[in-house]
Amino acid sequence: MAGSLLAPAPPAPDPAAPGGRLRRLRRALSERRTRFGLLNATPVVVYLLVLFVYPIFGTLLLSLKAEDGGWTLHWYADALRGANLDILLTTLRISAETSLLSLVIGFLLAAAVSRLKPLWAGLVMIIVIVPHFISALVRTYGWIILLGEHGVINDALTGLSVPGAPFQLLYNEIGVVIGTTSVMLPYTVLLLYAVMRGIDRRLPAAAAGMGAGRLTIFRRVYLPLVAPGLVNAGILCFILCLGYYLTPALMGGPKQTMVASLITEQVMRQNQWNGAAALGIILLLLTFAGLLLLRLVKSARDAARNRGVS
Amino acid sequence: MIALRSTLAGRITLTVCSTLILLFLALPIVLIVVTSFGEDAFGSFPPDAWTLDWYTALFADGSKWPAALSLSALVASLTTAFSLILGMTAATALVRSELPLRSAVYGLVLAPLVIPQVVVALGLFLLFEPAAMLGSPLAIALGHTVLASPIAVMILMATLKGIDERLEDAAASMGASRLTVARRITFPLAMPGLAAAAVFSFITSFDEFFISQFLSSVATVTLPVQVFNVLQFDVDPTVTAISAILIGVAVVALALIGVVRRLSGTGKQDGLLPVDTAAGLPAGSETS
Repeated sequence: MAGSLLAPAPPAPDPAAPGGRLRRLRRALSERRTRFGLLNATPVVVYLLVLFVYPIFGTLLLSLKAEDGGWTLHWYADALRGANLDILLTTLRISAETSLLSLVIGFLLAAAVSRLKPLWAGLVMIIVIVPHFISALVRTYGWIILLGEHGVINDALTGLSVPGAPFQLLYNEIGVVIGTTSVMLPYTVLLLYAVMRGIDRRLPAAAAGMGAGRLTIFRRVYLPLVAPGLVNAGILCFILCLGYYLTPALMGGPKQTMVASLITEQVMRQNQWNGAAALGIILLLLTFAGLLLLRLVKSARDAARNRGVS
Repeated sequence: MIALRSTLAGRITLTVCSTLILLFLALPIVLIVVTSFGEDAFGSFPPDAWTLDWYTALFADGSKWPAALSLSALVASLTTAFSLILGMTAATALVRSELPLRSAVYGLVLAPLVIPQVVVALGLFLLFEPAAMLGSPLAIALGHTVLASPIAVMILMATLKGIDERLEDAAASMGASRLTVARRITFPLAMPGLAAAAVFSFITSFDEFFISQFLSSVATVTLPVQVFNVLQFDVDPTVTAISAILIGVAVVALALIGVVRRLSGTGKQDGLLPVDTAAGLPAGSETS
């Protein structure tokens, strides 16, 4: 496998004109650089082929194997039926809710930060980035303490005598979406901030100069400029949620079981490896679909831009 | 610079919103650190009385934490070593040479960042189970390296791009061998990047839960798996203390990178924080 990927490029067709000495020298140098590159690329490529590509390939094979050794699709049929289908749909629903919430919150924060002076923006971004490197497990635990029946949030709400307090915020969908959003938020903020920082501030000002109202400027100028970032961040967040395990497993109730929990359950408790493999491959296909969508959106945008230029 | 002036009301709304959002990010973390010093582990906030009992209980006789802590440290060290080797060679290949199928190699290197971790973990489980390697620290480290090496590669690629190639060429033209150039020119200049890659590989492994869970056995339980088990079954207050320690490790690691950046004057060098590139990953066309 490594061989096929690392095979040297086919030799360039012999130039008709006799190459000068300079060209030969350049080619020799470039061949040396190529050999050097192949030599250095080998470790990582071999490593990932053995410990990343091959295991996934093995999972795919296992998901297609029947008990009698033949080929079958019935593990996929099982995965897309009854309770398992419900879990898949739950996963899609929670991922969509989380991505939407992360996008809205991320948009607000990124918009605010992109208006700040560099020093302040840097400080705020530290508060965004540092949690990203703190174990999601620990942050989830923090949310469990915060959202409990006698947690800080409910205590505060009861103290303010909000009607209905204390609320049930844990072991239901509210808890899962809050916890997962806080894990995904740094991604959306960073992506959106990068896009917003690149926006020419004179464009909204120009629109205002020509008499556009604030709402129109936001809708017709700002939003289209940020849209690529929103699409990217949304899809990326959705993909990352699909296979996410920790927070839903700790903060959700029985109705918030996600596919990753189901896979873990099947492998660890039921020894149902084939079924787990089929579920894993379904997750993988959904991820590929998301990545493909990203790429389609990008090429459509590029095409539109090229048309605009010519 | 000409820019649209924001209204006072708009500015106030945005400030209030962003303060709330920052609290949303920081509160769970601050809460754990504060609660870990409180006498009543799950009680009122802020705590009524302060204590270090939970920290001393961590290392009391019969505690499960020291074993988990040292296993995680061992696995993270192995992962760091593997991922630095892979990262150095891969970054050199991708930045400093003419590589056939470059975008395929680059895509392969970055793929572990977007593929669902449960799929990676399941695949590794199916690979190591027949080999009877479940529970081996080496197996867990090999698994973690799949996740850590892309980060190391990206950091080191950014580092190498920031090093003027003419310095290496100049040394080579004066007769330095390739090894000497690497040792005397590239390596010292890449030092901050190497430090960052090492730190990020270490915390990636140290905090990794999912692969560890699939690859651990009853006898070998890494720290995050132990924390998860405690949270799922029998919450005891020492878990707050260990969580605070995990937070401390991450903060110290990030601070270290900040210091290295400052000392080496590479503050402007992009990519030392892998999130910049990791988050932008699918935006590039080279994935999958």
